[in-house]
Amino acid sequence: MITLHNVSKQFEQFKAIDSVSLSINQGEIYGIIGASGAGKSTLLRLINLLEVPDEGEVEVNGKVLTSLKSKPLNQARQSIAMIFQSYNLLGNKTVYDNVVVPLELSGIPRKDRQDRVMESLQFVGLESFKGQYPAQLSGGQKQRVAIARALANQPDVLLCDEPTSSLDPNTSAEILSVLMNINERLGVTIVIVSHEMDVIKSVCQRVTVMEDGKAHETVTIDPTGIQTIDHSAEGYVTRLMKDGGRGV
Amino acid sequence: MFDTIAQYEAEIWQAIGETFIMVGFSILAAVLVGLPVGTFLYLCRKGEVLENKVAYQSLNLLVNTIRSFPFLLLVVFMIPFTRFIVGTGFGTAAATVPMVVIAIAHYSRLAEQSLLDIPKGVMEAAVSMGASVKNIIFKFLYVEARSGLVVGLTTSTISFISYSTIMGVVGGGGIGDFAIRYGYQQYRTDLMLYMIVIILIIVQIIQYAGIALARKIDKR
Ligand SMILES: Nc1ncnc2c1ncn2[C@@H]1O[C@H](COP(=O)(O)OP(=O)(O)O)[C@@H](O)[C@H]1O
Ligand SMILES: [Mg+2]
Repeated sequence: MITLHNVSKQFEQFKAIDSVSLSINQGEIYGIIGASGAGKSTLLRLINLLEVPDEGEVEVNGKVLTSLKSKPLNQARQSIAMIFQSYNLLGNKTVYDNVVVPLELSGIPRKDRQDRVMESLQFVGLESFKGQYPAQLSGGQKQRVAIARALANQPDVLLCDEPTSSLDPNTSAEILSVLMNINERLGVTIVIVSHEMDVIKSVCQRVTVMEDGKAHETVTIDPTGIQTIDHSAEGYVTRLMKDGGRGV
Repeated sequence: MFDTIAQYEAEIWQAIGETFIMVGFSILAAVLVGLPVGTFLYLCRKGEVLENKVAYQSLNLLVNTIRSFPFLLLVVFMIPFTRFIVGTGFGTAAATVPMVVIAIAHYSRLAEQSLLDIPKGVMEAAVSMGASVKNIIFKFLYVEARSGLVVGLTTSTISFISYSTIMGVVGGGGIGDFAIRYGYQQYRTDLMLYMIVIILIIVQIIQYAGIALARKIDKR
């Protein structure tokens, strides 16, 4: 589905990505992990050519993006959705208007847009928030809107750059289950960049470990599933007592 | 006071009308030309979708040159050009030409600044969605920058009013010219004062309306 072939990216004198090759299969949830500054985000941004590689080839869904002119590249990008740590919603548009933007860009007829938007919002459980502005939403809700926006064009691939890194553990878990749902029910290939081991281990089937702009190793794992935390009072007591509790 | 004003009423109305013509065309030019120029400057910057060092630097130099030109000298310097455009170097229409030029330079800079205030991620989202340059501008940039653009236009308009007060030198008329002719040349300090009050009121109204509108359309 996605093939990077010896891609390199340099910022001024600094080699952020150094001849990385990897291949991601259709329907996979693929992780990219590594320390801060390892080049994870840059590698992800090379997949949709948000960063143009200095060398190498990027192929997504049978199209060699690195050889496309801007118009077909933009068309290809409409099937490669992306979500970000900072959500990147339009603050001056309502939830509904944010989600409809990709449909306007891809030229979906006006009459079909409303159903598509509402379907996407239902998928993330936010249909009742369609008239709100992002500023009125919590972080988790904003990320759901971003996910709904990403889904609107029925993409083949969803790129996620630290999708849960600004969120608390429970909200993170909710977002991760939405992502798993998208993978399972809609068959979307997902690439997740994160510096958090738990996030990667819970949902990814294959993971590339990055260091200093190089792909250090790619490992295959059994995703552990998403850990949800028991928020009942008793749950807190149990967890407090588990390691080194001295009595109630 | 009212007697004096009544006595000069027709002339005062004419002066106000001339100011409105000069400032009105300036606003029109600011929006129709200054905004696209400012947008183009923004998009030509490093890392942006139309990145173009030569285009950026030459346009930037032009805008800076016009803006740093002492306005009175710009007006006089431009007379041959003005004559070429409107057929005469004298009168309200002639005065509008340098006003329009400074308006474009002035607002393009403020528009560029408003666009620079948009969070980087908005552009990332736009490009990742496969938006064309036209869509990036109208569906992303202007949506997110709209209150900054309104504040900028408010600031520019107030500057245009200030610029318009010296247009008497080329017979442009206007409130400032009226104040200078009577207040300075004929020692009618009272008339000058009334004109200053009129300008202050107009500026206050514009400032208030501009800020109120900018607030209303800002949902961020
Ligand atoms: N646009 C850029 N200009 C200059 N340096 C950059 C740019 N983007 C990333 N870098 C540098 O490249 C390296 C890798 O960045 P990034 O891919 O964001 O790392 P990660 O996501 O793993 O934290 C960092 O040292 C960062 O400073
Ligand atoms: Mg990163």
